[in-house]
Amino acid sequence: MKKINIGVIGLGNMGYLHLMSCLHMNDINVIAASDKSKNALKKAENLGVKNVYDDYQYLINKQSKELDAVVISLPNFLHFDSIQQSLEAGLDVFIEKPLSISVDESKKISRLVEKSGKKLMPGHCMRFLPAIEKMKKTADEGKLGNLEIITLESIQNGPLSHGLVPKPIPGWWFDPKRSGGGALIDLGYHLIDLFRFFAGDADVEFSCLDYKYNLPVEDGATVILNSKKSSTRGVINVGWFEKTIFPKFNFRTILHGDADFISTDQLLPRNLYIHAIEEGAKNFLRRVTGRKIHPLSYTYYYECHFKELRYFFNCINNDTNPSISAIDGLRTVEILEEAYKFSQRDSSTQTHLSLH
Amino acid sequence: MGKIVSLVHVQSEEEIKNSIIEALDLISFKVDKNINHVIIKPNLCYYWNASTGYTTDPLVITCIIDWVKDKCGNNTDIKIVETDATAMRTNLAFSILGYKKLATEKSVELLNLSDFPNIIKKVKVQNHEIEFKIPEPLQDVDLFINVPKLKLMRVTGITCGMKNLFGCISSPRKIVYHSYINEAIVGINKILNPDVTIVDGLVALGRHPINLGLLMASTDVFSIDWIASKIMGYNPSNLEFLKIAEREKLGSRKGITTVGDNLDEFKRLFPKQGIISTEHLWSLQLGLLKFYSKIVNDIIPPVVQE
Repeated sequence: MKKINIGVIGLGNMGYLHLMSCLHMNDINVIAASDKSKNALKKAENLGVKNVYDDYQYLINKQSKELDAVVISLPNFLHFDSIQQSLEAGLDVFIEKPLSISVDESKKISRLVEKSGKKLMPGHCMRFLPAIEKMKKTADEGKLGNLEIITLESIQNGPLSHGLVPKPIPGWWFDPKRSGGGALIDLGYHLIDLFRFFAGDADVEFSCLDYKYNLPVEDGATVILNSKKSSTRGVINVGWFEKTIFPKFNFRTILHGDADFISTDQLLPRNLYIHAIEEGAKNFLRRVTGRKIHPLSYTYYYECHFKELRYFFNCINNDTNPSISAIDGLRTVEILEEAYKFSQRDSSTQTHLSLH
Repeated sequence: MGKIVSLVHVQSEEEIKNSIIEALDLISFKVDKNINHVIIKPNLCYYWNASTGYTTDPLVITCIIDWVKDKCGNNTDIKIVETDATAMRTNLAFSILGYKKLATEKSVELLNLSDFPNIIKKVKVQNHEIEFKIPEPLQDVDLFINVPKLKLMRVTGITCGMKNLFGCISSPRKIVYHSYINEAIVGINKILNPDVTIVDGLVALGRHPINLGLLMASTDVFSIDWIASKIMGYNPSNLEFLKIAEREKLGSRKGITTVGDNLDEFKRLFPKQGIISTEHLWSLQLGLLKFYSKIVNDIIPPVVQE
């Protein structure tokens, strides 16, 4: 199998995870990495990455001849520029969500992909979650009948999240011009994509944003979607307000059909600690018997990031187009923009709640 | 009256102001009508709101402002102060936690003390000289009100009145003090002397947050921490910063008395730390995970490693 030469652009939490995933794959050569942080670059060097850059433009300019693809995990406002430069340099692109922060940028990206003939896959990772894969299969087999309502929830703490010791939050998160929005673009992006995954396309029927934290961006949102294709309605709730730390993970999707229903609550591990022990033991056995381990399977949720990257690299190896394309990213951004516009249409639908 | 600590049970939000007055009356705290400059120091350690037990409830601060204005007049210059922390920016916390709104409604000023010039002060604690950057606005204050939370803390056991003053150190990188945190807490308390400490224990934070409905007040911050540690299930004689404070003559266990509601009632309700703390559990999990990762060659997500 031909080895794929990769550049990893952006080494924040997601970028560093992607770097470690790439280093774990036998058919991937990580040629270079870039990040503004010296610490992050040092960590990459320690993992064996030989070429490190403090600017992604240098990485693309200096290494593009050796590279086949880039994995981009930059702040939202840099997505468009980094994608454009990568595609123009003849590289395939994996981009973390969102595709970009506006419909205009996303349309330009779609045209660039078409013109360049390169592959671009946005990181719609929730589609690779085992529970979601199972739900999709069940729905496609017709076991649920027609899907009438899809409930999707993701309540977390977004940029406020931290491990045992908090870290400063980068300023771009709360600047709508650089982030594109708050909880809706951060968490709602995934849920809108999941709605499209199950129901086909979507239009916005209703949307309201919360500003409980008095930030320049919304900290919560409720959006109602409707699919003309399947007559399915979707109810989306997202929020940044909940102080939970992994392995607590407040995410659920319920498909309500005419014949039956299915929920992530039935499919997710009841206890992530027990799941981690079981999966860890399986991986240990795989290792001692000389088989391939299933990286990150013990975390349940983070495995989907490994799987989406693996899928993208398989598409490069097999020269097939990823099933998740720039058009999926564009459509998700269009729905997001519709939702933002709807919430501004009638100020009475906005719930500017104070703390007390 | 310095060594008296009042405990008042608050039944509802509407009672907070009267409960503050009661708590202050119980310790016979009086203010001069000629007071012009008032500083109120809440505990805003991160962006989690009061319902999580991490930060001082803006409602408590609102009621304290009303009480100050009742006593000293509406034109009293009142400032709510906080400093940046390693991971927290005060201006953002003021906005997220409802303090900006409060300041507009009550016509008081919000100060991020990290934005002001400092005065360098050095103190000796256990023969160890510690240097602190003290923000200038804390220099000429007529009335300094310390409003900490009642909560458990990994490094020091508890955090209450004395630890809240540690939050007055101007430098955001307070983590540099963490290797000698107990001495640093005592050191800053040698420099800053609040006139009164009012503890917000409405939602207290133990193993989990709990609606404890407690307000405490005292003019002696050592005494209030002594009693607070008892409520939180600690033997105060075992807490390092209280031991050092006593050795450094910053306070004494002798003669501390409580007035008002019964300490044991709050002690019974407070969700005390188990034998293995959350932090120890985290360390244990991470240790096991690193061991697993090493032998199996699996990946540990960065967010889990942190």
